[in-house]
Amino acid sequence: MDLGSLGGDLMGIVPLGDIVLYLTPLHLFMFIAVLTFTFLIAISRTETQVEASFGDLKDNELKVGLAEFKARRFLAIICGIATAGAMITGDLFNFILFVALTGVVNVGIVSAVKQIDVLDAAFQYGLIAMMASLPLFGGGAIILAATGTLSFFELAKFTSNSMVLFGSTLLLIGVAGETGIAPFFATKAEMFRTPGSPFILIIHLSSLFMIIRAIEILLVIIT
Amino acid sequence: MLVPEFVPQIFCSLYLPAIYTGFIVGFVGLVGIAINKSDIHVLILTDIVGLAMLIVVGAVGTDLAEALILPGLVVELAEILAISEILISREMRKKGKSSSLLPTPYVFDMEVMTTAPNFLSLLLIGYGIFLTGFTGGVVAGGGILLYVLSRKAKGLPIVLIDGIGAISGIAWCLWIVGFLLFFITPDLWLLSLFLAACGLLLKVASKMGLIGTLMREEFKRE
Amino acid sequence: MGLGEFWNKLANPDRIPRIFALILGLFLVVGLLVPFSLNDDQIYPRPAPQEQMLDGDRIAPYDRGGEILQKPGITVAQYPCFSEKIGMINSYMSPIAYNIKENSPYFGTSIYSSPGGLIDEILYYTRGFDTILESTILMMSFVIASWLALNFTMNRKEEDD
Repeated sequence: MDLGSLGGDLMGIVPLGDIVLYLTPLHLFMFIAVLTFTFLIAISRTETQVEASFGDLKDNELKVGLAEFKARRFLAIICGIATAGAMITGDLFNFILFVALTGVVNVGIVSAVKQIDVLDAAFQYGLIAMMASLPLFGGGAIILAATGTLSFFELAKFTSNSMVLFGSTLLLIGVAGETGIAPFFATKAEMFRTPGSPFILIIHLSSLFMIIRAIEILLVIIT
Repeated sequence: MLVPEFVPQIFCSLYLPAIYTGFIVGFVGLVGIAINKSDIHVLILTDIVGLAMLIVVGAVGTDLAEALILPGLVVELAEILAISEILISREMRKKGKSSSLLPTPYVFDMEVMTTAPNFLSLLLIGYGIFLTGFTGGVVAGGGILLYVLSRKAKGLPIVLIDGIGAISGIAWCLWIVGFLLFFITPDLWLLSLFLAACGLLLKVASKMGLIGTLMREEFKRE
Repeated sequence: MGLGEFWNKLANPDRIPRIFALILGLFLVVGLLVPFSLNDDQIYPRPAPQEQMLDGDRIAPYDRGGEILQKPGITVAQYPCFSEKIGMINSYMSPIAYNIKENSPYFGTSIYSSPGGLIDEILYYTRGFDTILESTILMMSFVIASWLALNFTMNRKEEDD
């Protein structure tokens, strides 16, 4: 499929050696949306969860400490930038690395919590992220072997065969695991149960944008 | 023949066996994960899955594939680093017990620590600087670690710089600047080459220093 | 087992990695039925194994032609307009590396690394953005692991809560 038919007219490219980023209206919009949200997160403070305690009238406040707050903010900003980068990249392997980066950083954002349940969910999510590197990188390598290129400009011209289809499906499984969409959502849903919004929200936002971009890329490769 | 126009026949004929090996290795690892109950075993088994990924990537057999193996390996390594730390943190919170970086106390009962460690570490650092790049950083960092450990073994005071991790970060930025310079002005390729190589040396060497900071509690332990 | 029961099973985070592993493993078995063949028109091709060694090349297996600072090496890059500049890096060797190459027939297979001249470097540059990301991933996990270690797992005795 032509690159322009999904995202709109090609507005320009950013060549970085053999990796070329490209801009179309859709990608530019997603890029700016993610960066805006990242900026809003960078200047905001964390929420404080209030738990009502049973049997008396006291409230239990769950606050995020300063050191934890700083570490989380840093990782949330990196996560935002990585998501934004994945929106405009024009290289398959580059996109895979962006997905892997958001995966690691997502684990990192919740890693500093003290609730055992949340730590457990983060660990389980991390296991999926590690396993997902096989379908992600393997899928990319199979597509490379079948077509001899990683650039979307070249991949768009290539007619699909069963090997490309298999590689793309593998890639989709990898993205699904790494971003934690259904049916693998339970670990990520569990990770939200900790104080620390809005930093926690970027985990959710990054998966949403990543999956949209991944589907667009797969359409470009297959059709 | 320096560079062939097409991929040589041997790579094409080996592709099928290689990729099947990758799939079978991956399948064995994944089934192991699916039936295993213990968290730590699952974590170790994910390494086999990572190995399968390297086989599938390496099967392509071009210079590009060789370059793609490195990110794959690093991603796998990086994730296991972060996730094992989370597992330790979780188990410590669950059980309320603490653990240290190494299960047994350090024993510096080696001859190399008392004979000529300063000369050896100087040699390592010098050789590391000559090498530059990743390998150089590791060798030079090893020299720094040897120096610190030998001072500890001889009972001399050790100056621990807490911010040594920051040097790593700054060197990393230097390296990135080298790269970006290459993208923007390819004519300055020699300068960017050296910026990147030296930034990498500093980065890896100081990362070794960071390991030293992480082990500071081990230094105190008897 | 009803569908509702299955959904309930999916809601338990402990089971998710196992289910993911099972689905992926089964899919890999499906892969054994798919016809695979390597497209021989690849970018950055390399000579057959041992070919350069048997020719007695001093920097085998990483000889890609060119002269230091004079002529670019041969590089089949994705975007041919960059090939020349990339080839210059490919053919570059530091003076020390050059001397070793002149004196030893085994430079390519030894672990003397040098800025430029060997295959790693050229691909670092052409696919430099990948390398930046890769090192960022490593950096972030170092940040996560060392932060956790410094704040929780190692200083837990001093933690006051």
